Amino acid sequence: MEETATDLFIARAEAAAAQVHAVPDEAAAAREVEAIRAEKGTDGGAHGVRALTGGVGVAHGVRALPGGVGVVRAAKGIAQTGTCIVVTDDEALRLETMLPEVSVILLNSADILPDLPSAAPFLREQQTQGRASYVSFITGPSRTADIERVSAIGVHGPLELHIVLIGGRP
Amino acid sequence: MSYAHEIEEALKDGFLRRTLDKFAVEYRAGRDRVFAEVDERALIQRIADVKDDAARHMEELYEKFRSEAEKRGAVVHRAKDAAEAREIIAQIAKENDVHKIVKSKSMTAEEIGLNAHLEAAGIEVNETDLGEWIVQLRHERPSHMVMPAIHLSRGQVADEFEKATGRAQDHEDVHKLVKTARAELRPKFLAADMGISGANFLIAETGSLAIVTNEGNGRLVNTLPRVHVALAGLDKLVPTLDDALLALQVLPRNATGQRLTSYVTFIDGATACAKSPTGRKILHIVLLDNGRADLARDPLFSQIYRCVRCGACANVCPVFRLVGGHRMGHVYVGAIGLVLTYLYHDRAAAKKLCQNCVGCGACKEVCSGGIDLPRLIQEIRARFATEDGEPVASRLARYAMRKRTTFHRLLKFMRFAQKPFAGKDGFVRHLPMALFGKQGFKSLPALAKKSFRELWPKRDSWLVARDSSPRTTNHKPRTTKIALFAGCALDFSLPHQLVAAMKVFAHFGVEVEFPMEQTCCGLPLVTLGEKETALDVARQNIAAFAGEYDAIVTLCASCASHLRHWYKDTLGAEAEAFSAKVMDFSSFVHDVLGLTEKDFTRLDWKVAYHASCHLCRALGVKEAPRALISAAAHYTPTPEEESCCGFGGSWSFKFPEISKELMHKKLDNACSSDATHLALDCPGCTIQLRGGADREKRKIQVVHVAEVLAASLEAGA
Repeated sequence: MEETATDLFIARAEAAAAQVHAVPDEAAAAREVEAIRAEKGTDGGAHGVRALTGGVGVAHGVRALPGGVGVVRAAKGIAQTGTCIVVTDDEALRLETMLPEVSVILLNSADILPDLPSAAPFLREQQTQGRASYVSFITGPSRTADIERVSAIGVHGPLELHIVLIGGRP
Repeated sequence: MSYAHEIEEALKDGFLRRTLDKFAVEYRAGRDRVFAEVDERALIQRIADVKDDAARHMEELYEKFRSEAEKRGAVVHRAKDAAEAREIIAQIAKENDVHKIVKSKSMTAEEIGLNAHLEAAGIEVNETDLGEWIVQLRHERPSHMVMPAIHLSRGQVADEFEKATGRAQDHEDVHKLVKTARAELRPKFLAADMGISGANFLIAETGSLAIVTNEGNGRLVNTLPRVHVALAGLDKLVPTLDDALLALQVLPRNATGQRLTSYVTFIDGATACAKSPTGRKILHIVLLDNGRADLARDPLFSQIYRCVRCGACANVCPVFRLVGGHRMGHVYVGAIGLVLTYLYHDRAAAKKLCQNCVGCGACKEVCSGGIDLPRLIQEIRARFATEDGEPVASRLARYAMRKRTTFHRLLKFMRFAQKPFAGKDGFVRHLPMALFGKQGFKSLPALAKKSFRELWPKRDSWLVARDSSPRTTNHKPRTTKIALFAGCALDFSLPHQLVAAMKVFAHFGVEVEFPMEQTCCGLPLVTLGEKETALDVARQNIAAFAGEYDAIVTLCASCASHLRHWYKDTLGAEAEAFSAKVMDFSSFVHDVLGLTEKDFTRLDWKVAYHASCHLCRALGVKEAPRALISAAAHYTPTPEEESCCGFGGSWSFKFPEISKELMHKKLDNACSSDATHLALDCPGCTIQLRGGADREKRKIQVVHVAEVLAASLEAGA
């Protein structure tokens, strides 16, 4: 059952133009993230958060990353839609999923839920803890079809979404 | 510019036509693909139930939402109308010393005319959704709720960007234009003091907002500035998170053919914010009433609050496809736009717009909440007709049709009057084309020399000789007794189609009665807003068909749907037994008689099929006619079988240019195959497509499904 959900998640995430990196464990995940950073991040120049925000992102507490690569961890995934659910109450963390051109989300395959309705209990738990919350459902990179319906990936949010999927696949 | 002139101009816009044509076909394919994975009808029904219930409990949901949101640090406002909403938001801006605003897409902000009001107060307002930004630069209205700039070419967008940035732009590469928008708007997000967004769902149980976006601008708008104002109608309230997650299974699928949009954001109260002087986001939620609380109690119109603003009703609308959103909406676009324009905005605009619905029902079929949009538009037309007093056409129709004998005498007189002009082939031939003006795109049908009711006494001559032993036993032998409802167009103009049906009935031993007291079904009267007379004729028909019949069969899909639905919905118990027996010809022959290929001799005809709106959508009959064609001839599938032919009763006379284009497209599609015949189940479509095929000198022959079956039986005799 779990393997089926993982396979479906990968297929649906890729259909939404995300790039899925399946890795066996946390150590491999860390290596994968470093590899993505090395490939995409370069020197923090034109692609860096600092440059992108003119320093405002830093004033917000966005970590100065070694390049324009944001890395966050998802709490849950949704197989049917290829979605990562990220708890982004923290503003700096939230900006890390919005401002950089490359976004990396770590997801544990054991946290993949089957479909949207099955996310209700998790969402309710987040919203009834006596504090304000901000939960993001992220499915692929930002996109638009507003000019002549031509599908263009990467508008105001990330141009690339990499999902590092931990476990569940040999 | 008059509305008719605007329509003509739109039809000449080659770019718009090509774009919307391509979109209409691709949208259908994309939608079908993602809906195949879920139970579409069940989801839509559940959304309808949830939203209907929410509309009934709007006040309780508002109280619950307000209390939960305020517990979490938001400030909730309720605005009774557009002016109050504008003032509340301007006041929030003033109190927080706001000079620059970024906005993500909000149709509700369009509804209240927010930007102009804020700009008049000296505040800079920047739209950040790409399409909204483009139309803002051009000082235009969005022409679609989901794709605001769908009416513009990349070249036009590039020109606009050159003006806005002062730099040369690539006029071909859309991706480069998107990059320009990213680079140009990013500093505006960072510099803004306040962000304004809409909301797709207001969740009462937790006081949270759900916002559905693709570009990522919505999240920047509600995160980067210190103040966030969310503006939404009271109709966006739902009781629980489960309800929002339910609707999210349909909204993106219906809007853009996506399983889910790139981002769905659940904001629950004022989270920490580094830029804010208090350290927390300054969050204001403005709920707009603007007539919603009253309308939520309206027994008919309350269903509009099932709308989730997916835009699907525009995407499938054949008229939108031809003229675009600026001519098929006001603020809100598409079928729901016509209704909302009447309810919220500009009644003068609504009056023009509502005339322009052909009544094909395509919108109702795809609506995320199953709203009966054609019925609502019809009701609005009727209200305008009542308010305006009666136009000549209505007065004449009422006079002529209240008494069947008067009506039928009038038709006979018209037959006499047309004599000098009628050709031998059933068309009015001998009139100068100049007399027809814009109606000249199709040949107009003549009234037949003898109506079906006059031919009826000779019915014994219609029996097709049959073998001594029936070839099959799977149809019910000699026990089925039906009454035939002719409908005016078939009775007086196309009686040969009824004769063909009689041959089929007689061949398979069906006992047929033709109650002479039957009259017009009343649908044209309803279209004219003559509801009282429509009820009169309905009662006459119910009385005429009081006998014991297994079914009341008609060859007219429009009559069938009117007799089945409008009679029962309007007259209730009085019409129940009658309406329950009404069947279209193909369903009766296929489902009740159970005829299959064993019962027919296969003709060498290659038959394309036109699925009439009233058959495939209003009655949901899809399989029967295609199966019958396959049984009796060679069914040849062609593109867009279920799109409207552009007849729509008197509509085709009001909007001849649009009607012509729809007809032309339909014939193009049918003729794109090697079909020799185009079969259908409705005399309205027959008049349109037969007349069009004649005028355009197409080789294809337009026939009723009954004619295909009768020809097959005759071939086998």
